[in-house]
Amino acid sequence: MLKIIGSFIAGVVFTGILAWNMMGGLMFNERESPFGVEETVARIQQNIQTTGKGWALSGLRNPAAAVKADGGNALPVMMVEACSTKYSGPILNEDSVRFLSILMPCKISIYKKNDGKVYIGTMNAGLLGQMFGPLVGGIMKQVAEDQQKFLVMDPSKPTPQIQYPKAAGGSGGGSGGGSGC
Amino acid sequence: MKRASILIALLAGASLAAGAETQPAALAKAGGASTADHSRFIELQKIFNSGPEVTKACLGCHTEAAKQIHRTKHWTWEWVNPETGQKLGKRNVVNNFCTAVPSNEKFCAACHVGYGMENAKTFDYGSETAVDCLVCHDTTGSYKKLPGLAGHPAYKEIEYPPKSGKFVKPVDLGKVAQSVGKTSRATCGACHFLGGGGDAVKHGDLDTSLKTPPRYLDVHMDAKGLNFSCATCHATQGHDIPGSRYTPTGKADNAPLMRGRQNQGNPATCQSCHGAAPHKTKARLNSHTEKIACQTCHIPQFARAQPTKMSWDWSTAGKLTPDGKRMTIKDASGHHDKYDSNKGDFVYESDVVPTYAWLNGKVKYTLLGDPVNVNGVTKINEYLGSADDGQSRIWPLKVFRGKQPYDLENGSLLVPHTAVGYGEKDDSAFWINYKWEEALKAGANATGRPFGGKFDFVATEMSWPITHMVAPKADALSCTQCHSRSGRLATIDGVYLPRRDNNRLIDTLGWLAALAALLGVAIHGGIRVYLARKGN
Repeated sequence: MLKIIGSFIAGVVFTGILAWNMMGGLMFNERESPFGVEETVARIQQNIQTTGKGWALSGLRNPAAAVKADGGNALPVMMVEACSTKYSGPILNEDSVRFLSILMPCKISIYKKNDGKVYIGTMNAGLLGQMFGPLVGGIMKQVAEDQQKFLVMDPSKPTPQIQYPKAAGGSGGGSGGGSGC
Repeated sequence: MKRASILIALLAGASLAAGAETQPAALAKAGGASTADHSRFIELQKIFNSGPEVTKACLGCHTEAAKQIHRTKHWTWEWVNPETGQKLGKRNVVNNFCTAVPSNEKFCAACHVGYGMENAKTFDYGSETAVDCLVCHDTTGSYKKLPGLAGHPAYKEIEYPPKSGKFVKPVDLGKVAQSVGKTSRATCGACHFLGGGGDAVKHGDLDTSLKTPPRYLDVHMDAKGLNFSCATCHATQGHDIPGSRYTPTGKADNAPLMRGRQNQGNPATCQSCHGAAPHKTKARLNSHTEKIACQTCHIPQFARAQPTKMSWDWSTAGKLTPDGKRMTIKDASGHHDKYDSNKGDFVYESDVVPTYAWLNGKVKYTLLGDPVNVNGVTKINEYLGSADDGQSRIWPLKVFRGKQPYDLENGSLLVPHTAVGYGEKDDSAFWINYKWEEALKAGANATGRPFGGKFDFVATEMSWPITHMVAPKADALSCTQCHSRSGRLATIDGVYLPRRDNNRLIDTLGWLAALAALLGVAIHGGIRVYLARKGN
């Protein structure tokens, strides 16, 4: 009996450790971009604006600039922020999940690593949404589908230009007034 | 009494203010350290109509200055590498930016320390009055040599660029001459920050952000900190400025240079101040300095303040608007051109992670007449070095890639005639007619090389050692950025790098030892359990 209980506890602990280690990788996605930081940002911004469904740019942040302003160095990181009231509205109107506003607006991070390559980091909206019931799960599933359209990098299309926020924030900010959320 | 005191104070204040106003710019900037106030020299209190007139006045006192300049690469634009015999210098080399000087001198000479270089072959290199003192010693910031004027500044108001509707006022030579002083980041940077045809284009570690750099960009030049000028490291004697990409110091002397000691080493190295054991608290790091240049760890990225050009494809140059005019297309950032009819396609990049290579200070160039690699990439310059020669360290490099014209018949690089002198009508220049054949023919004539009329474009590569823009020590590379399989030094051979490299035999022995230990523990434990049960 002791052996069975011991084995069960060991199994639970093992599974827990495995899940703990995998959680980070499951919640976030990373992919390499074929373009430089600026061009990747510009293409994602363009994709967001052509996706429809209420999507609009709501900001562009440059956290590396804040590090530089503080006398340090950081490889480039830019965060494109986008929002669609079509998706955010129902969540913001439901008290039980209103705390999820902390995840708004939807962010896509574009950054360079020490290998010199440019990567795109996104949240796994589909999986994350499933953790918060059917309302959020359904909305986030659609967000995840749209997110895939944001990340299409078609080299045959001409290079668009970055849309810088009109009202720049502090040295590390750069968020625009934008629309959407 | 009180009124009298106020009056005296006001008068004293007024006289101080007047004194401040009459103090020349050079003295004001130097904090009064100079022993000469050039504005008080009678020789300079006159109207100068040309640069050579000013030089003549300078040489009246500084009798040896022009002779010293004549011995430098800044003047001759030529240097013969004693090891390879290759004739280098701007007059002779070809690069993959604006390509070459011959046939374009009137434009390029804006960065020559002389006046009147219209043709590099026929220029009077023995002329003392043709030396331009002001380009390096101006402290007013008003002295500009414009491309197209063969090394002269504007002596009268001119429309510049031609037909642009913008006008450049003539330089006040008298004022500049009376304000001369030490060289500065601004004077050196007037050429070295703008190499390759624009700000930050060529070097990657030199651009106008270094005029007043913040600390994150360069700990030594930090305008609010150490505030080094270029000459602080490039310590100059007799106008001979140490530090050259034709003769880079791959492995610097380990001992710092000291006053009173006969120093033969290059003062423009990290070791000349810091020595070879600069890490006081982490002594383990000092074992790296034998194989790794300081710059490799302490310049984690270059072009950190603004993007640098990383590639240039001349083969696409010449596309015009439907009405036959020059066009430019901005890149994604909106700040730089990604296409220009005059020059072709570009790629700019910021915060570039360098390429790393062994460098022993020897360099080999592909010069005019040398064969190009039509099936691969032609290395315009190749820095030599290896782990075994005892003279090399691992250095960070900017590798600049391009496509440029070559002669299909003799298989060597060609020089296009691109730019013309100010106001000249020269139909053979590419930036005038956008016709490659005529531009290449004119370039070949200027270089004295044959050109059969058939050409194509070849892929080229040029390397630039990265040595400026030293980051704060907190931003130096961490161990794992090199000590990992896919780290920055993944392609460096000839040296054992823990965590990147492994030895199969040692690894096998290690695993066997670990397995043996595990077995030993299991057997020992098993025996103890067995004996315990047996005892019960």
